[in-house]
Amino acid sequence: MTTLELRSGSDPAERPMVTPTAALGMFRRPVAATGWKAWVFTVDHKKLGIMYGATAMFFFLLGGCEALLIRLQLAAPDNTVLSAGLYNEMFTMHATTMIFLFVMPMSAAFANYFLPLQVGARDVAFPRLNALGFWLFLFGGIFLNTSWILGGAPDGGWFMYSPNSSALFSPSHGVDFWTLGLQITGIASLVGAINLIVTVINMRAPGMTLMRMPVFAWMQLVVQLLLLFAIPVITVALFLLSFQRNFGAAFFDVEQGADPLLWQHLFWIFGHPEVYILILPSFGIISEVLPTFARKPLFGYKFVVFSGAAIGFLGWGVWAHHMFASGLGPVSVAVFSISTMLIAIPTGVKICNWTLTLWGGKLWFTTAMNFAIGTIVLFTIGGLSGVTHAAAPADTQQTDTYHIVAHFHYVIVGGGVMGLFAGLYYWWPKIFGKTLSETLGKWNFWLMFIGVNLTFGPMHILGMQGQPRRMVVWPKKLTGDGFFNLGFWNRVASVGAFTIATGVLLFVINVFRTARKSEKAALDPWDARTLEWMTSNPPKEHNFDAIPTVHALDEFFHRKYEEVESADGIRLSRIKTAEDVHAELNANPDAHIHLPSPSYWPIVLAFALPVIAYGVIFNLTLSIIGAVILLFATFGWVLEPSVAGEDEYDPPPPPPALPPADDDGSPKELASVG
Amino acid sequence: MTFLTRRRLAGSAVAAATVLAGCAKDAPQDTFKPKGSNARTIDDLQRPLFYVAGAVGLIVFAAIGYSILRYKDRGQDMPKQTHGKTWLEVLLTVIPALILVGVGIPTVAAVFELADQKSECVVNVTGQQWWWEYDYSGTCGGVEITEPIVTSGELVIPTNTSVLLRITSRDVIHSYWIPALNGKRDAVPGRLQTLRLEADEPGIYVGQCTEFCGLSHARMRQAAVALNPADFQAWVDNQLEAYADNAPEADTLAAKGESTFIASCSRCHQVNELVKKDGTPVLAEPDLWVVSGAAPNLTNLMTRTAIGGWTFDLLTEDCREQLWNASPEEFGSLYLQGVWMNTDADADKPVCFDEATLRDWLRDAPAMKPNYSDPAKLDSTGGRTRGMPNLHLNETQIDELIAYLLERK
Repeated sequence: MTTLELRSGSDPAERPMVTPTAALGMFRRPVAATGWKAWVFTVDHKKLGIMYGATAMFFFLLGGCEALLIRLQLAAPDNTVLSAGLYNEMFTMHATTMIFLFVMPMSAAFANYFLPLQVGARDVAFPRLNALGFWLFLFGGIFLNTSWILGGAPDGGWFMYSPNSSALFSPSHGVDFWTLGLQITGIASLVGAINLIVTVINMRAPGMTLMRMPVFAWMQLVVQLLLLFAIPVITVALFLLSFQRNFGAAFFDVEQGADPLLWQHLFWIFGHPEVYILILPSFGIISEVLPTFARKPLFGYKFVVFSGAAIGFLGWGVWAHHMFASGLGPVSVAVFSISTMLIAIPTGVKICNWTLTLWGGKLWFTTAMNFAIGTIVLFTIGGLSGVTHAAAPADTQQTDTYHIVAHFHYVIVGGGVMGLFAGLYYWWPKIFGKTLSETLGKWNFWLMFIGVNLTFGPMHILGMQGQPRRMVVWPKKLTGDGFFNLGFWNRVASVGAFTIATGVLLFVINVFRTARKSEKAALDPWDARTLEWMTSNPPKEHNFDAIPTVHALDEFFHRKYEEVESADGIRLSRIKTAEDVHAELNANPDAHIHLPSPSYWPIVLAFALPVIAYGVIFNLTLSIIGAVILLFATFGWVLEPSVAGEDEYDPPPPPPALPPADDDGSPKELASVG
Repeated sequence: MTFLTRRRLAGSAVAAATVLAGCAKDAPQDTFKPKGSNARTIDDLQRPLFYVAGAVGLIVFAAIGYSILRYKDRGQDMPKQTHGKTWLEVLLTVIPALILVGVGIPTVAAVFELADQKSECVVNVTGQQWWWEYDYSGTCGGVEITEPIVTSGELVIPTNTSVLLRITSRDVIHSYWIPALNGKRDAVPGRLQTLRLEADEPGIYVGQCTEFCGLSHARMRQAAVALNPADFQAWVDNQLEAYADNAPEADTLAAKGESTFIASCSRCHQVNELVKKDGTPVLAEPDLWVVSGAAPNLTNLMTRTAIGGWTFDLLTEDCREQLWNASPEEFGSLYLQGVWMNTDADADKPVCFDEATLRDWLRDAPAMKPNYSDPAKLDSTGGRTRGMPNLHLNETQIDELIAYLLERK
């Protein structure tokens, strides 16, 4: 909990001034509690979480349309739906969008919304940084996608290997949009990571030791640490590429003595931890969903936590398995082959523990539970096919074929996206106070589950039988004979893609129908286990009226149930309803809750970066304008008062209740530094 | 075990069998059909891996399936709030670790075996957008190569000979892959990397570039053609035949084609020993016109079976099928006949020649294979193209060129 020490003196006259206040006129904090201003200037982690989620969902649909176009092109031999150039842009943008603009921000959405709630905090440690992160992500994503209409999207693949990404071989501005756009979203990830790490380390409720933290919070902590160290690597690589393309540098230019493999090493030192950045949030989510609907604690909590941390460490030592065909030499190849196999061990531990969580439970098959179990099944397939290319010689046959495409889609869609959907169905009533339709949800689940298998299952066969990736066309003469020839499996994969799309469409329909229905969700619809359910749906702006004191893992569950000894052994008995627990907790609310005020500056500061980036591409004058905005916003950020004056609210808030005196007589203060 | 579980297990077995039976037959790039020792080393490692992975998968799915059916909420009591069993956790960590030790040891052995550079023949392989060039010299499987042979698309090698490819690139990164003979090796500019190929039997083993290399990556293909020692000797002899032996007779269409070739094609494409009317040699200067600085050598164009990055067949479809499906015994003689397969000695045109493809290519290559040769878009390269431009040849010139090129055999 971050308490602003400067403000904690009991006599207002003794409080030193920490910032200029309204005396400077223009530097005020926005105060609107409703309307668009309440969203645009908000620093509330829950509103930002929703904005992250909605934006990520939009990019998911965009990336999905790109995937459908790719599958349309590949539905028939020598097809002509897309030209070669457009196809290359399409698969580059499909991957970039899904990774950087959907899975990462969607997991940021969950982290933003639920980390503070799960650890019993009122907000994140740095609320304005949180807002900055969201706006940078949004503007970066828009900037990247404007390349479609400003001369062509990037066409070098999401891995953007040098020298194919140099200005000579990719003459449009697409790659510049890519390097600069990812630089902007990279800053978003970095500030978010620092923010969430500090939140988890410093702002946990009393009694919540690290080993009492929900697994979702743990996995997010690991993810944010991975981001903290991985993003700087890609930042460096992107700068090198930008400088090579725009300012004549020669970092990867063979003719000037450089080595293009430098890019591959930098990219994959980022790129492999990135895989765990994509998948661990989903692991965290299903580690919450499975115990809730199995009605028993996660099996082997410590093993799951430590294996997550182990993945976080080992993930740094496997990057060169993306380069087994690049000619690293047998010693490096053998070492990276072994380290890649090692990482299968903690991953296997997780799969075993999830399965054993189901074992002996009392399983309630909600949509969220279906998605969680689907995640285990699909991720297991992806993990096992991963072991087949950890063996480097086998990988030299498999790499850059559809077998790899099958593998990582089972991991990222099967293991990652399905888990995110589990989270959406599980937490929807918490976020919006209404439960998504279970009927539509089941259809959504089965269409996506079957669709994933139809789309990516056949790709194992396609790849092993010799169809390489990133090919705009596959010739008929290479499809082989028999009914199950490669043409057949390509058509199945295309049908599968549209099956997934139908499932996603049902989700969108479900969201709109749920928004229109009036029925409110119960306070504790799933008989949940963790702190975020110990407040109203949706939570109040300050999250908890009283910060709970934590005594155990699954605190909420332990307040509702008690183990009693009976004739036939220990039995679990319900002692309180969720309403009882809430009433008990809220009987003694914290007084004097200080929340950070909204701020104008995060969105202004974030806006400056794409302006600078457009300038780098088109005209440096624009960059100077952007830099001025950036400077202005930075000054505003620093100089604005730390809170809005109470007289600025209209109407002014009611005078706070007299603080109940603590034992030492000082009032409780809970203000976050923004 | 309940009836339902049994049915589910049976279902999984059927599903697994479907997947195995569901593979294409005779897919030319099938990685499970090794045709040489290096690919067999990989296959021996890869196959058991798939079986182990499949078995582990089935165990996990059986456990999940059993839990789903057995522990469904039927109103039973709330379960015991167990937090885990340490011995079970340790066991479930140790078992995968042991499996991986079992996988790791043969993996490392295979890595070092495949890295060995023993060879009885060395071929330099150079990738560029979007085709492969081969450069032979020295001795290859006991056959003396007295002058360098430069060819493209099809790598011709003797059977049962360890051929070491020395691979590099002239522009971006490419990757050389003949699935039946070995895994992939990237062609990285500024680096020389090796890959060993060895074929058991005569035959054609197709592959393609597998590192994304830009616009026409999908149309950068290659094949390795293995010939028995006698046929390989014949192939080498033919490649080294003097131009004079194939030179067009005066006043034929082919002779006009030679002039057209010199006027329109020779600034990029070399035909060895070709001379102008005044007797000076015709030397191609592709470095002035093409970004990579190279264009395919056309001295023996008609000994190959495909053009344009080995994407467009010179053989008609039936003849190509005949060649690809030929038995090891008959393959060599068919291959050495090329487009003259099935053709009577006194016929004036080869029946297996797919003339339309070559005509289309000469008429407008960029329309068949997307490239960067539009003069309006070549500012950043100083006018040099990547790929063959549209030369705006008229139909007469194309007739002449085809007559001339048919004799480049």
